[in-house]
Order: sequence, then structure tokens, then C-alpha cells
Amino acid sequence: MSNSSSKIGRWIAAGLAMAVLISVFYNLVIDNMPKGEVRQVADYTPWSAATLAVAETLPLQNGGRIKPLSTFAGFSMLGLHGARSMEIKDSRGQTLKIKPTAWLMDSLFRPQLAIQLPTFRIDNSAVLEAIGVKARGKRDRYSYNDIEPGREKLVELAKTYEAIDKAKRDPVQTQVIDLAYNLRNYESLLGYFGFARFGVTLKGSGKDGAPDQHAEISAVMMTAPQIREQIAQSRGQGKGIEPHLQSMLEQVFDAANFAKFGLFILPPADPKTLTWLSAGDAIANAISDPKKDPQLGIADVKALEILARSVDDETAFRQQLSSLRDSLAKRAEVRGEYRHIQMEADYYQKNWFLNALVCFILGTVTALAMWTFGKGKAGRLLSWLTLASTATGLGICVYAIVNRCIIMQRPPVGNLYDTIIFIAATVVLISLVIEWMTRRRFALGIAPILGTLLIILARRFELGDAKDNMDPLVAVLNSNYWLTIHVLTITLGYAAGLLSAFLAFIYLLMRGLRLDNGDREIRRSLTRAVYGTICLTLFLALVGTVLGGIWANDSWGRFWGWDPKENGALLIVLWTLAILHARLGGYIRDWGLHFAAVFTGAVVTFSWWHVNFLGVGLHNYGFTAGKGTIWLFYIVIAAILVFGVVARAIEQNGKGRAAK
Amino acid sequence: MEVSPKSPASPKARSLSGKVFDVLSGFGLATVTLLLLGLLTWFATLEQIDNGLYQTLTKYFSWKSAFLLPEINGKVVPLPLPGGYWVCAVLLVNLILGGVIRMRKGWGHAGNLISHCGIILMLIGGGVAHHFSERGNMAVGQGASSNVAEDYFEYVVEVAEIKEGKPQNVHVIRGKEIEDLEGGKLRTYRLPDLPFDLQLTGYLNNAVPVSANERAPDRQQLVADGYFLMEKPKEEKAEEAEKFSAACYARVLNRDGTKSAPFILAGASFHPFTYRQGDRVFIVDMHKRLWVMPFTLKLDQFTAAFHPGTMRPSKFVSKVTRVENGGEAKVTIQMNEPMRYEGFTFYQASYGPPGAAPGDKMYSVFEVVKNPADKWPEYSLWIVAAGMAITFLIKLGSFLAAGSRKKRHV
Repeated sequence: MSNSSSKIGRWIAAGLAMAVLISVFYNLVIDNMPKGEVRQVADYTPWSAATLAVAETLPLQNGGRIKPLSTFAGFSMLGLHGARSMEIKDSRGQTLKIKPTAWLMDSLFRPQLAIQLPTFRIDNSAVLEAIGVKARGKRDRYSYNDIEPGREKLVELAKTYEAIDKAKRDPVQTQVIDLAYNLRNYESLLGYFGFARFGVTLKGSGKDGAPDQHAEISAVMMTAPQIREQIAQSRGQGKGIEPHLQSMLEQVFDAANFAKFGLFILPPADPKTLTWLSAGDAIANAISDPKKDPQLGIADVKALEILARSVDDETAFRQQLSSLRDSLAKRAEVRGEYRHIQMEADYYQKNWFLNALVCFILGTVTALAMWTFGKGKAGRLLSWLTLASTATGLGICVYAIVNRCIIMQRPPVGNLYDTIIFIAATVVLISLVIEWMTRRRFALGIAPILGTLLIILARRFELGDAKDNMDPLVAVLNSNYWLTIHVLTITLGYAAGLLSAFLAFIYLLMRGLRLDNGDREIRRSLTRAVYGTICLTLFLALVGTVLGGIWANDSWGRFWGWDPKENGALLIVLWTLAILHARLGGYIRDWGLHFAAVFTGAVVTFSWWHVNFLGVGLHNYGFTAGKGTIWLFYIVIAAILVFGVVARAIEQNGKGRAAK
Repeated sequence: MEVSPKSPASPKARSLSGKVFDVLSGFGLATVTLLLLGLLTWFATLEQIDNGLYQTLTKYFSWKSAFLLPEINGKVVPLPLPGGYWVCAVLLVNLILGGVIRMRKGWGHAGNLISHCGIILMLIGGGVAHHFSERGNMAVGQGASSNVAEDYFEYVVEVAEIKEGKPQNVHVIRGKEIEDLEGGKLRTYRLPDLPFDLQLTGYLNNAVPVSANERAPDRQQLVADGYFLMEKPKEEKAEEAEKFSAACYARVLNRDGTKSAPFILAGASFHPFTYRQGDRVFIVDMHKRLWVMPFTLKLDQFTAAFHPGTMRPSKFVSKVTRVENGGEAKVTIQMNEPMRYEGFTFYQASYGPPGAAPGDKMYSVFEVVKNPADKWPEYSLWIVAAGMAITFLIKLGSFLAAGSRKKRHV
């Protein structure tokens, strides 16, 4: 093996590595930067950190569980804005970064500012053109004020498009419908505290030309028994409701309706009632349900009124918010529903997976340098740096996953997002174990690379899905026993399969570009590692698949139902079995084994991701975004195989000429 | 990497039976069948999107399907593949001959041998379940009892005499005896306790009777009593087989040689066909097969719970009383916790009525399965897992012992 060809190979490898790093950089930085120019929002003053810290741990019910306000804010912002932070300029031109809790607090308590924030991410300007709103770039972010002029047209169009079968809608139609729902949901936040801001106008109360008086909703709630009695009396006398009473009731129910859906923050008094109440529920119950004790509801609404009205004095606001948070937290605690709120708020604040990503990126850089420097002191130092940063990243992942398990009170994998972070952690862990067994530095090098790619995938998925990935599971998945033994096993199988594909890719790259200088020991070592991970994949996929069958037998009454997810797992089993038998029969040798192992990546991708898009079967993750990424992955695998075939042909040709 | 060397060339030429044995027990056949099964599974997964599960499975894995051409997005892929049933059969033979009989014996191969035995048990279990299991459902209202389950797929023809308002001398013609009567093929069924026999023809597995006055027969179908059988048009999204409604034509053959006019039997009919002979009244009906359980289930309480504030179900629980020979036992059936008793397994399948308000009387639907191989996959799993663990641990041990750790490079 000539040194010059090895040098060329190293340059090509370095070029490939640079391309990967640039794409990572693009994903991390460029793609998450705000589109278009940064908006100026005059009079905007940021919330103090102390106020936000109190707000973050305010408990509420959403998605079937109790969570901190910060989680709700994070996923609401992600769904509307497409990111967990936004940038604006204040009146002095100073750039401010608004995080989810601050954004939600603006929406709830300072709607006059919130409607100027660029909350809505529009990916296709055709959506705005369709509703008669002037668009800026193809993709940009818009405020409520920008979109509001086209609101009526938007609702009209959304209704028309909803009548079209979901599969037949074009992307613009789908986005119009999404925007209409997003706008409605956002309005439920903007108007939530309307009852506190405006109260009710007591029509006819202003004597001698004086303006009509205002009353707080909580005060009206206190008089509910008298109101009901008066209505009953009027009806008993065959009369209608008094006009002033009618007007007041209309205002109260309007206010209740605006505050009915945004936030469910009031734990019910009855411990047997599982559903928390919104402010609107509390108002409506006090007025219209004589069977329920209104006192708690009145006190809650009164507290919310004081809170909303003190927004102009942040110290007073914080005190009131703190008092409300403590009171609600105490009630939630009595119900056993506040245990993990602080932990969850910390989990999102610390952003563990971003920290892990930083470690893996550092590890990737040092790994590339380690491979470039080869043997020697520098190489050894870089290998220790790679190990340190990768192990730190792994530790952070494990810590975050354990946190999630405690918060969710279930095993780590229950949805697609869970699978990605779990696979990221296990792939890195298995790589480090392989490194410990082989000490060849190839497994050490690929550990942070795979960690980086998978954490980016997790972040992209979370962004596209924009749904709280800690929400409880449906009845059939509600089994910690099966989630532990089946789902974890099959997910570990995916991890092992992906790792075998990546190891084989490294083999093809190394041998094809002659990075190994023809060192047979390295090749043998890599081949053994690939063979071992294929065996591991088979073991985990087979045991996981059969365990899934046994679970299905207990849930649905059949061992095998040809569900796409089951079939996908079976494909991994059949493919790895075929590889091992072909190897034992001598039909494939080193090159063949590595080609087959690279293809395992495609089989795992089909099983893990692609079957979710087929729209059939019982395993429904409800995920629809990111189909294009799968095809990109298949193309990459095909390209690697083509590269391998060409490299093999060149090597065979070289050997043939040498023999002559 | 340890690869078993190919058999050295034998000094004597192998006999034909020896060569056949070599092929049937070889790694080559194992690899090819595994790849074929993988291809079939992949194509079947994609094809079920357009053609529905039942139709796809029949095409890919029925014993009647020797060869097939896959379809993707409704377009035929010009790649003839053998039927999955027969590929599985070949794999089983290969596994027994190669993976058990021919395989090298010894401690080093014990793990593989155990795994192969486990997989053989699993494949046989699959075959037993495929051929001998029965499935149906039982709906029971809250406070009510039932001891009858209805088959999901099998339509039967039932003939009985009505005496004192109740059916007597009931004869049941099973689905497998009528399902092949397609087109003009007809068959006579002897009913020894009754004064006539029954002739059936023109079976369709998914059809409805249509009035010839409203729509003229388009394929020269037989018109009986003003109606003919129209095969249901294929829906855009394939209909699942349990919703199919079978139908056929029938004729009563009296003992004196006379016969009735043809009439239609249809699963979609609300009432059975009534036949009178003198004062005697008989009914002929087509419906899904009903099986009587050896015990009765009484639904004491059904609970459907949802995660608070959502429509996401958290649990479905049926509390039942099992009544048998005067004895009673309280049992809870819920998702992931079926009731297994006397060879039957009862699963929580669904409930109703849809959109029930709190306080409404609910009913619970159980899936009832009788599968002689119910637990075989579980047993085989432990065998396979143990075998594979032994094999891979041995390989891992030899890998570590090889001392590759000592040599460092890159």
C-alpha cells in the first residue's frame, strides 16, 4: 500500500468529515436562526428572572398529566414559533431573547405586547397570500397583528379545506388549516385573563349621567345564589330575566368562555375528580351549578384577578404570583400531583441534551484530529480528550433519561422521541464497550459522531412534532412490565443494528481510501466488531420481536398480526440471520459482510422510522413530519454501497495487476 | 472470525439422495429462504396499504399461493416470488435437516442447536395456530350474561325446524364446506333428520342481495325471487375481512324428488329464509358461526377511563363473574391482562355504545381465542434466547481471549 494513496485517502476522509461538521453546524445554528429581520417591539420590557422562576413551577394540567407551566410554554412556543426562543429589538434597538415562559407570560398577562411578537412561523408565504396578508420572505415569522387582518378569510378557507380528505390536501391547504388552529389556540391564551382585566359592566348602574359601574367577576360569583333566586322568581311570575341581569350574565359567560380552554390550573376540591379546572370552568360552575361549593372557585378567580391586574408593578405581580403558585402547589401536593414539577422545570431549564450535544461535537472534533494524527503522543492525548468528552456526553444523556423516567413514572421508551435519545445513549455506550474490548480507536471515534447525529435527530424530531413527549401513554402501552422488557429490547436492537452499519461504513471508508495502510489487524478487528454487533442485533431483535408477539398475544389476542412495526422487526431478524448464515456458508467474506452490515442500516431505518409513515397498523406514534430525511438516509446508504463496490473493484484490479 | 470450512471434496461422488440432503440442509438454502422471507415480508408490508391486510396475507402466505407478483402503489413489480407458506415450509425442513441433524454436535455448537430447536418449536407453533386456532368475539351488556361467541370470519349455513317457537334439529354447514362453491359449482348437503336436503351454489365471500327491479344483473347472475347477488365493489381503502358479508344461492331438494325455487342466503339479511312443508316450518339462515362456551360470563362492571382532560384512553376494565356448573368466580379482564380458562382466552377488545355519557349502560366486547399453541411462542422464546446467549457468550469469550486488546494502532 503506497503512502501517497493513503495520504489522498486521508484528505478525502478529512473532506467528508468537514462536510459532516458543516451540516451539523448548519442544523444547529443556521436553521434555528430567526428568519427575516428581527422585529422591533416598542415598550417591551423583559420579565425579571425571579418572576420567571416562580412562573416556571406553576402547576397545570395538560395532555392528561400535571406539568409545570414552563413545559406547557415550551411546547406551545415550539408548535407556533418553531423554536424555543425568539429574538426582538426593544425601542432602543437592543436585541432581546424571549424564552418560552416569558413568551407565555406575555401572551397571558401582556397581550398588547404579545400581539406584536413574531409568534407564528409560516413556512410557505402562499398561506398568507391565500388569506390576503402581505408576505415577506418564503419562510418568515409573523405576529398576531400581522395575520389578524386575514383572520376571517383564514377561518373560511380552513373550513373549506377541512372538507377535503386529509390524504388529498396539498401542503398549502394543510398549512392553512394548521394556522387557523394555531391562531385559535393562541387567542385562547391572549383572552384567558380577559375576565380579570375587564370584569363586567353593570348596565344602568350609572345614575345622573355618570358612567356605568364595573364589578369583578369574583364579586358576581359571590352573588350567584341571589342571581339564581332572582331568575327563579322572575320565571315563577312568568316574566323574563331582568335586562340588567341578562346583560351581566351574558358578560360573565362570555368571560368564562374565553377563559375555558387556555390553562387548566385549578386543582379541583374533590380528590376523586381527576380533571383540573380552568378559570372559565370555575366561573361557570359557580354561576350555574348550585350543587357545587363555590367558595374555592371564588377564591381562585379572585386571586387570578388580583394577579392579572398587578402586572404593571412587577414586584407586586411576583408576590401575587408566588402566593398563587404556593397555594396551587400545596393543593396539588395534597393530591399527590406536585412531586416532580420542580424536577421537570429544571430538566427543561438545564437543556441536558443540548449540553450532551456540545460534548459529542467536541468529541467529534477531537476524534477527527485523533484519527488524523494517528499514533504518537498527540494522538494519545486526543484519544483521552475524545473519551472524556464522549463519556461526559453519555453521562449527561443517562442523567437526563433517568430524570425523564422519574418524571414520567415509566420506563425510558414509550414514544418515538424516547427511542432516539435512548438509542443515542446506547449506541455511544456500546461503542465505548467495543473500544474497551478492541483498543483500536475506531469505536472511540465513531461514538461521539453517532451521538452528535442522533441528538440532532432528536432535536429535529421534537421541533417537527412539537408535542410534549412526556405525556401519558394510551391504554395498551400502559404497562411498565412490557415497556421494559419488549420496547427496551427492540430499541437496543435498533441501536446495535445502526452501530453495525456505521462500523461497516468505517471499514469500507478505511479500506477504500487506504487509511489503514493495509493493516490486516485493524481490518480483522473491525470485522470482528461488525460481526459481534450483528450477533447482538440479531439477539436483541429476535428476543424483542418475540416478546412483542407475546405482549400482542396478551393485548390483542394474537401473537402475530402482520402489523408494519412487527414486520419491520422481523425484517431485522431475517436480514441478520441471512447475513450470519451466508457468512457461515462462506458466501460472503469480509467485503460482503461489511456491505450487508451497511445495508442493515436501511433495514433498521425502515423498521424504526419508515413504517410509521405507512398509515396502517396498530403501532401509531402519530408522527408525520420528516419523511424526506428517511429517503436521504437511504440515498446515503446506497452511496456508501456504491463507493464500497467501486473501492473493492479498484483493489481487486490492483491485486490482479500486481499478480501479473 | 471463525467460518466453518466448506466440506472437502469427497473422494467418492455423492449419491443423488446425498446431494439432495446437502442442498436441503445447506447454508445456501437457509440464506436464500431467509432472504426470500424478508422480501415477502417487506412487499407484504407495503402492499397491505393499498390492498388491506386480509387480501395481502392471503396472497403472500396462503398455502394456495405457490407464486406471486408483488405490487407497490398498485403497480405490479415484475419479480416472481414463491409463496410465503412454502418458503416457511422449506425453511423448516432446512432447519431440521441442517440446523439439527447435520449440524456439528459438541459443546461449542450446543447454543446454536438449542436455538434451532426453539425456532422449530416456534414455526410449528405458528403452523398449529394458523390451522387450528379459532377466533371470535363476545359482546356482553353490563349486568347481562353470555356463553356464546361469534366467529370473526366464518359464515355458516344453519337449517332447523321450528317447533313451539324454538329451533329444533339444528344442522350447521361449516364455512369450509361451502367456501369453494364459486361460480356454477354446486353441492348437495344431506340433512337426515329433516324431510329435505339442501343444495348450495354461487358462493361469494362479500356480497349483498340486490333487487333486479332496481338494478339489472350485470354478469348474468341468477335472479331468485326478484333478487340477485352482487359482489360488493372494492372500496378505495381495502375493507377488512371481518366486515365481509358472505352470500350464496340455495335450493331445497325434497325427498319426493321435487325441489323449491332457488333462494338467496346472505349474511347481510336480517331474517332467515322460511320453508314450509305441510304444517311443518323450517328456517334456513346464513350467519357468522356461533360457538358455545363451556361456561357463562356475566359482566358486573365495565370501566373506560381516560387520561384527565383528554380523549386518550388510560384503561378499559371489565369485572366479570364466570359461572360454571353452579360455581362462580370473579375475574378482571383488562388490556394486557386477558382471562385464560379451559383453553379459551378472553381479551378486552372494545366497548360501547359509542359516545356513551356517564351513567349510560355500557357493554364490553371480548375477543375470544382458542389456540392450542397459545403459549408455544413464549416457551420457544426462552429456548431460543438461552441458545443464542450461550453461542454469543462463547464467541465473546473467544474474541476477548484472542488478545486483540494487546495490539493498539491507528
